[in-house]
Amino acid sequence: MSALKKITLSEPELVLALQSKDPAILKTLYSMYSSSLYGVISRIITHTELAEDVLQETFVKIWQSASHYDNTKGRLFTWMMNIARNLSIDKLRSKDFKNSLKNQDIENNVSFVDDQNKVTFNPDVLGVKQLVENLKPDLQAVLDLVYYKGFTHVEAAEKLELPLGTVKTRIRLAIIELRRNFN
Amino acid sequence: MSVENLKAYIESGVLELYVLGDLSPEETVQVEEMASRHPEVRDEIAAIEQAMEQYAMQNAVEPSADVETKLFELLGLNEEKESQNIASTSLDSNTTEQTKVVQLDTNYTKVRTLRYALVACVALLIVSLASLFITYNKLNDAHNQIASLNLDKQKFAGVVSKLEFDNQGLSNMAEMTDSKEWATIRLEGQKFSPSSKMKVYWNKQNKNVLINYVAMDLPKTDAEHEYQLWALVNGKPVSLGVFGGDEKAKEALVKMQAIEQAQAFAVTVEPRGGSVNPTMDKLTVMGGV
Repeated sequence: MSALKKITLSEPELVLALQSKDPAILKTLYSMYSSSLYGVISRIITHTELAEDVLQETFVKIWQSASHYDNTKGRLFTWMMNIARNLSIDKLRSKDFKNSLKNQDIENNVSFVDDQNKVTFNPDVLGVKQLVENLKPDLQAVLDLVYYKGFTHVEAAEKLELPLGTVKTRIRLAIIELRRNFN
Repeated sequence: MSVENLKAYIESGVLELYVLGDLSPEETVQVEEMASRHPEVRDEIAAIEQAMEQYAMQNAVEPSADVETKLFELLGLNEEKESQNIASTSLDSNTTEQTKVVQLDTNYTKVRTLRYALVACVALLIVSLASLFITYNKLNDAHNQIASLNLDKQKFAGVVSKLEFDNQGLSNMAEMTDSKEWATIRLEGQKFSPSSKMKVYWNKQNKNVLINYVAMDLPKTDAEHEYQLWALVNGKPVSLGVFGGDEKAKEALVKMQAIEQAQAFAVTVEPRGGSVNPTMDKLTVMGGV
């Protein structure tokens, strides 16, 4: 279906339009990246409504602070992904989120807490699940924490009771593994 | 920085943390400085970024459509303005432009369709309520009509039974007047009730005596009294039985006791059940044979 076809523009074009505040570009940007960013957000925040709120906040922030993006310092997507991750983590630690936890019905609570404590995979991306499962368990554990759960590497080290250096190395090895798979 | 040191720096994992946004501002500045000085660092960062971007793309989850709607509402970017801007944008090719417009239209149409559906539903509801109200009123009217028709029917039934009663009496009277078997005795009003009159029918052969309510005009008696029919046989009154007022009769024609011979018939008002001897001051009607 042509209506569902994603619009793609090259990064320099996107950045140029974004920084000139061309309203049309936001639509394009949304169509290109909303699902990738939502993938990141929804793994940090499994509560659908809150995750969608964060997605909205993410695009508002992208739109409003477009002038702060410096393309010499990294790719546009990295910048956007970090906005999404930071907002997700903020939300995760905010009163809002804790209240929403409290507001859950008792019956729902068990599964809700479970949801918060495990990494769930979108069945649409089964191939990726397999790919991540192909990672060695210790690499996967670190990547889960920092990528999906919004932990800093310092927090991950505490959680896994590992030296900081080891955590850093494992993150690197995990990403190298991903690079190998994608290239 | 020596090649070994640079390699160690790259392998320390700091660049991954940089891409993940997990460094302090000072460390971030350091990495950026390194990147600007060493192409190897820059390339490594680009490779990590690309891997993470790929990873995110593959893990994409489609958000619900109303996030987009809400977002554009929130930013006050109205859709019409956008499509104009799209048209004036030199960035995208024709196909992109077309795709874009189609996408907007789908959303637009969906919302508009829903809006129409809502309006249609409300209209339907109003029409339904109105027709329900009209139907209810009509039903009430119908109920009233049925009730009044029932009343009429009862009235007619009453009239019909009265007519049947009269008809029965009249036809009997006619038959008996015609036949030679029956003698008709006219009883005229007496001092007690001058305007009263009635007829008594006496069969010459079997001596049966009949009275006919239709051929009778007597004043109504009260609850404790009724009429008694007498035959005068050789100057002596003989009771032929009692009969009540007009309204108590089921048949127009009532058979009284037979009498072998009589010179006259008379009716008196007597206490309920009748008397042995007639109360002469309440002699209502009398007539000779």
